This record gives sequence, C-alpha cells and structure tokens, in this order.
Amino acid sequence: MTRTPPRTTPTPPHETLTRRTLLRWGAAGGAGLGLAPLAACAGPTGAPGPGTLTLGLNRSLVSLDNKLNQFDAAVTVQRAVRQALTAIGPGMKPTPVLADRFEMTAPTTWSVRLREGIRYSDGRPVTVEDVATAVRMYGEVAGSFVLGLFPELPSVEATGARTFLLHTRQPVPVLDRLMANILITPAKDNRPEELRSGVGTGPYRVVGANSGAGEYTLARVPRYWGGRPAVERVRVRFVPEESSRVVALRSGELDVIDTITPDSAEQLTGLPGVHLEQTSGVRLCQLFYNFRKPRDHPLADARVRRALTYAIDGESLVRDVLTGSAEQAAGVVPLSLQGAERTGSFVHDPARARQSLKSLGADGLRIRIMWESGEFAADTSVMEAVAEMLKDVGVRTSLLQFEPGGDILKWRQGKGGDWDVIGNGFPGPTGQAVTMLQAMYAGTAEDERTGDAFMGYVDPAIARRISDAATEADPAARDRELAAAQHAVWDTWPCLWAFVPKTLLARRTRVEGIGLLPVNSYDLTAVRLEG
Amino acid sequence: MTTTLAPPERPSAVSERHLARSSAARQRRGARVKLWAGAFCTALVALPVALAGLLPLADPNTQDLSRRRLPPLTDGHLFGTDQLGRDLLSRLLHGGQVSLTVGVLAVVVSGLIGIAAGSAAGYFGGWIDTVVSRLLEAQLALPLLMMLLLVVALFGPSVTVITCVIAVAQWPEVARLTRSLVLVEREKPYVAAARLLGLRGWSVLARHIVPNVLRPASLVVLLLLAQAVLLESALSFLGAGPQRPFATWGRIISDGQDYITTSWWLVTLPGLVIALLVVGVNLLGDGLRDRVRTHKPAKGV
Repeated sequence: MTRTPPRTTPTPPHETLTRRTLLRWGAAGGAGLGLAPLAACAGPTGAPGPGTLTLGLNRSLVSLDNKLNQFDAAVTVQRAVRQALTAIGPGMKPTPVLADRFEMTAPTTWSVRLREGIRYSDGRPVTVEDVATAVRMYGEVAGSFVLGLFPELPSVEATGARTFLLHTRQPVPVLDRLMANILITPAKDNRPEELRSGVGTGPYRVVGANSGAGEYTLARVPRYWGGRPAVERVRVRFVPEESSRVVALRSGELDVIDTITPDSAEQLTGLPGVHLEQTSGVRLCQLFYNFRKPRDHPLADARVRRALTYAIDGESLVRDVLTGSAEQAAGVVPLSLQGAERTGSFVHDPARARQSLKSLGADGLRIRIMWESGEFAADTSVMEAVAEMLKDVGVRTSLLQFEPGGDILKWRQGKGGDWDVIGNGFPGPTGQAVTMLQAMYAGTAEDERTGDAFMGYVDPAIARRISDAATEADPAARDRELAAAQHAVWDTWPCLWAFVPKTLLARRTRVEGIGLLPVNSYDLTAVRLEG
Repeated sequence: MTTTLAPPERPSAVSERHLARSSAARQRRGARVKLWAGAFCTALVALPVALAGLLPLADPNTQDLSRRRLPPLTDGHLFGTDQLGRDLLSRLLHGGQVSLTVGVLAVVVSGLIGIAAGSAAGYFGGWIDTVVSRLLEAQLALPLLMMLLLVVALFGPSVTVITCVIAVAQWPEVARLTRSLVLVEREKPYVAAARLLGLRGWSVLARHIVPNVLRPASLVVLLLLAQAVLLESALSFLGAGPQRPFATWGRIISDGQDYITTSWWLVTLPGLVIALLVVGVNLLGDGLRDRVRTHKPAKGV
C-alpha cells in the first residue's frame, strides 16, 4: 500500500484578478473620488472680488451705531454709513462733514449750518430736527460710552432750514470735536438705543448684515453728496483669532486687518503682497483698579495701589512682550493728546513693593484681574506676565478672561461680580486730553448710582477741577487747570500699569489710499483698489 | 502477545506556516502589537506627566521675558520656550496633569453613570429602559461640542464644571453598551438560578450580572479617555477651558497659534503630545478588546 503524498494547495497565480483585488481597487478609486474635493481646501477660499474690499476686525461690530459701542476700528465702518457734523481728521483737527459751518459765537453758543444738498442714502434730506433728535437720543441711552465724553449735552435751537444754534449751560470749548461722535440718523428712525438698522448720510449703505456674527456688506451709495467712493463694495468680517486674520490676509481672503500685535507684524513683514502701516496712537491701555471697594479694603488705600505698581516691570513688558510697539504711560492720558501733562512714571522696584505692602498690612493680598479678549494687542500675554510679576512680590492673582460677547459690561458697572483690576483700553476720539479725563475721572455720585462712573472712580474734587477746565474758554488757563487735575489724578494711583500702544494695520498691496489716523481709523472714501 | 502500534500520523494539508498565516493568528499578533505599541505611546506621555513634579524641570509658570520663543534644544530647554519665556516641556507636562486629570475623572464619572443606568435599563426593562433609552438617544442627537460650550458658558469655566460636563457628555456610549451586554446576560441560566435562590432583582444585578459585564464595559471607558482628553483640549482651545493660569494642552496650542509661522514648536510639539496619547490609548483599548475577544472566559462563570 502506498501512502498518498500530501497535496499542496494550489496558490492562485498573482496575475489573476481576484474579487478581493477588484474590491480593493474599487475602494481606492472611491476614496480618491471622495477626497478629491478636499484638495480645494489647500487653496485660498472666499477671496474678495476685484471691486470688493474686505476688512477683518478683531472685535465684533454688533451695530453700525455708536451709542454704546465704539472701539477704534469700528469708527472706520460706522462713519462709512452714518456721519456726524464734524470728524477728527489728520493732525487730530476737527473737520466739517455734515456741517459746513461750526463756529463758537459766544462762550456757550455755537452757530452751525448744515451743508447744502446732503441726503441720506434713501434720498431723504438731512434736517435740523434730525440733529436735535440725535443729540436727545444719545442723552437718553443708558450706559453710553459717548455720553461720558461730554461735560454736558448741548440743546439745539433751529434758526432756519439749515441753520441752528447749539447751547450749553457752561462753555464747552471743544464742542466741535465732541460733536464728531454724534452720528446723525433720520429723526423718525432714531431711538434711545443702539440702532440695528436704518440709513445714514455716508458713502456706503448696508445691503447685508448679520450683527450676531459681526458681518456686514456695504455697497456704494450712487448719489453720495461727497463724491463717488472708489471702492464699490465693502465686506466687514469679525475674525477674533489673530492667527486666523494673519492667515486670511496672507491668502488674500482679507484685504485689511487692524490692531495687530507686533508678533503678527513680524510674521507679515517682507511678505510679497502685504504692507504694514504704523502710526502713533491716542489710545490708553491700562490695568485699572476697581474703585468700588469698601473703605477697609486694601485697594481702597492709594498707598497700597502705589505699592503694587512697583511690582510691575513695565520696561520689560514694553520691550519683550509688546516688542517696542508701545510706550509706558507717563501721565494719566496719552501725551500725544492736546492738553496732556507728564505727571510721573511707573517704577519697577519689587523689594520696595514687598516692603510697602508689608508695612501697610497688605502682604498676602489676593487680587482678581479681568479683561476681555482683544481689548488690546497681546492682552493675554501682558496679563499673564503681570500675574507672575505680582506673584514675585507675594500677591496672589487669579485671572478672569471674558470672550467677546460676554457680560463684562455688567462686571465693569459693578453688577456682575467682584474684581480688583481690569484690563481696559480707552480711546482718545477727540484728540483732546480733557475729553478723556472727563470720561474717566469726572464721574459723580449720581453717575455711580447707575454704575456709569468709570470703574467706580468718583472724586468730587477732581471731577470739579476737570469740569472747570472743560468749561474754560481761555486755552492757556484751561491747560493749567487740566495739568493740575492730571497731577491730582496721578496721586490717586488709579492704575496698576498703563501703556500707549502704537497703531498697527496690515493691508494687501492692492489696497491704496489708507490714511491711517492716530485714532486707529481711516476714511473709506479715500481707499482705492488696484488690480 | 499483544503489540501496541503507534497510530500513524494523520496526514494534513495544514502546515505550521498556514496556521501562522491564519486570520486568528494574525489577529492575535495584531492584538499583541497594538497592546505593546499602545502601552508604549501612552506611557511615553502619561509617565512624564504623572512624574512632572519629580523631574528636574523649570517651574511651568516662571517667566523670563528676555528668553522668549527659544527654539527646542536651546539653553537647556528641550522643547524650547513659549511667548513669555516659560519652559515649554514643563508647561506641557504640568498642563498634561490638568488635561489628564479632567479626562480620567470625566471617564470615571461617565463610566459609573453609564454602567449604572445601562445595567438598570437592560435588566429591569419597562419604564426604566424607556427613560434611559430616550435620554441617551436625545443626548446623542445633540451636537456635542456646541452643548459643552453652552453648559460652560452658563456655569463658567472651571475644572469641576468641565469634568462634569465631559462626564455627562460621554455616559451614553457606556450606557448603550452596558444595556446590550446586560440584555444578553440576564437570559443566562446562572441568573435564573440566582433568582430561584430568592435573590432580589438589585442583588442579582449587582452581585452577578454587573461583574460579568464590567470588563467589556471598562474597555469602552478606556477608549473614551482619549476622547475626553481631546474634548478638554478642544474646549480650552476655544477659550472655554479652565481659567488661566492653569496651563492645559488646548490652551498652549491656542496661545501658540499666533506664532505658527515664526515659532513652529509652540503648536507642533503640544499637538504631537496629544496625538501620541490619543493614539496610544486607542491602540491600548483596541488591543485589550481583541484579547478579550480571543480569550473568552470559561463558561459558567
């Protein structure tokens, strides 16, 4: 009997097209087809058209009105739709816009004449009644940013179809500058609130708006009274992440990005197709103390507030974190403002800080610092650095960061919760020190009842001095009084630290004619697109 | 006289080589590779994170503003420094403690909720099953990240809130699996025997059924750990993580993205660490699951 040798299993020849191979090929082909559209993600998307200018803002523009909300870059867009009687132009000088005459005829009276032939984008003419209603509405809105700039709102007395008088109880010598913040809207449409819709006299009208997302599309007004703007359409987008804005500018998706950090400027410097613009700024960024503390709280004592300032190495912050794009404040307002006074400087001396805090019984202090993302460039880095500097002198800190759209306004008004220091940027929209001082340090007990005194700062003596200066018609006397008021404010040590950032903006080279002003805005009618 | 003859060797077409190439053997080998690779990757991240306090590292919060954004392997900084001159490796390891603590706590809580709810639904059925099933279906229908962001916005970002939020977000996965396992187990004879012996429903469930479904359910919990770490990182990246100064992986990446073209390491290295941990945990979970499948427990447990 012979044993049958085991048979080897025949293996299929490699060249045979098996069912498995066929399935694999099919799957690979299907995946290739399915993933092919993803290749489109590699290229720039949403690039603006040849006649469209796209602006990428770092803060959400919730409205094109400015009763409650007027951060620097918003001014550019708000003024493109709604205009005021005047505007702050180059050299921080007031220039007439809707008014062709704006003269002080008496210490408390200004004579104004509306420009002839100006109309809103829907064709309605601008009337004196519109101006009177606008002034009244700004006075009635609660929590207004603009209202704080005025020592008092003027009353309007019509004297003709196009002429009227502005009366104040006390002289307001900078009224022509202040009126640059009152945007004119048809009286019928104006309300004591931030307007979400409506028309203006500006060179553009709104054709698409998503205020929740901070996105707007503006189209050129065909018969704009001031001449035809060069750019046909303007798209406004809210892009909170700085890195996203930088990438979008590099890819051509955005044409202009504002308020960029020096680190982003470093990334953009020398790139083909990108140009940087820089100018000195009039915004004051400060780490402001909470002045709503009870009397027995350490921060209610100016000596403790001063001792804490010794912990902050401002030079290092400016040199290393802000990489030279800012200057330490040497006064209570930016020195570039007219009427600003050099009142002192921040000194870094940690040993003195520790010693002073100990002698004042404030060692082991705990403070809470809060701010909103995007309040100023490199805000997070500055706050973390400050927290570490305070830790070095034995002060424990907690950081509370609000994202845009959060309820920091309530906290600022003392209605949200307790805090000790706030990171805040304050603009100088008129180029005058007196306006900024008025808004920050001239709060009264009455203002504070509604939480409208700036961070609870109420000092009747200082408020009186500022008000006196604001109503002084003689410029030399006004400057003397203002200087005294600024020294008095400095002696109360209102800030842990403050700095004045330069204004940085990046644009594609196809965008020409941006005349960036120190107030971090520019006139959209002067902008051109090439290519 | 009897002669015992050895049985002739049975001829077979299956050789050792064929056995080694069989899918069962391939799966076993694959499970082993996954297990070891997963354990290695996980340990590579988790061990230094756990021992961060003992390693000779700089303080994660100590700044040196004059030494900002130093590249890796410069001046004793293995991973370089960040935008405030802090040691990136130290921040990653200490930040990992926050991220991993949130992840582990979240999966433990979600595991407990999921196993309790799923086993009750599977064993008792009826209205309990209806309530649990509808709840988990409703939750699965919601977009997860949006829901998490909403809850964090309502209650404020803190380690406790984020842990609870992730835990609550993940319980349906565990509950669903546990329910199906319990549905199978409750029909087995040992359960009937336990009932006949007079044990009450909860006792049968707790003492006999749950121990038998715990192993496969805990594997799912392990897989959820990777997802929990990713969720925590995503929340931190979006600004809804624990408040500063807690360094978390998501926040380190978020802060570093502003420097992506000038300081690549600020984003790339934390990203690699997260990827390594997530891949490691997933491989480990996969490997353990495959082992459980191939090594079935003896019948009549």
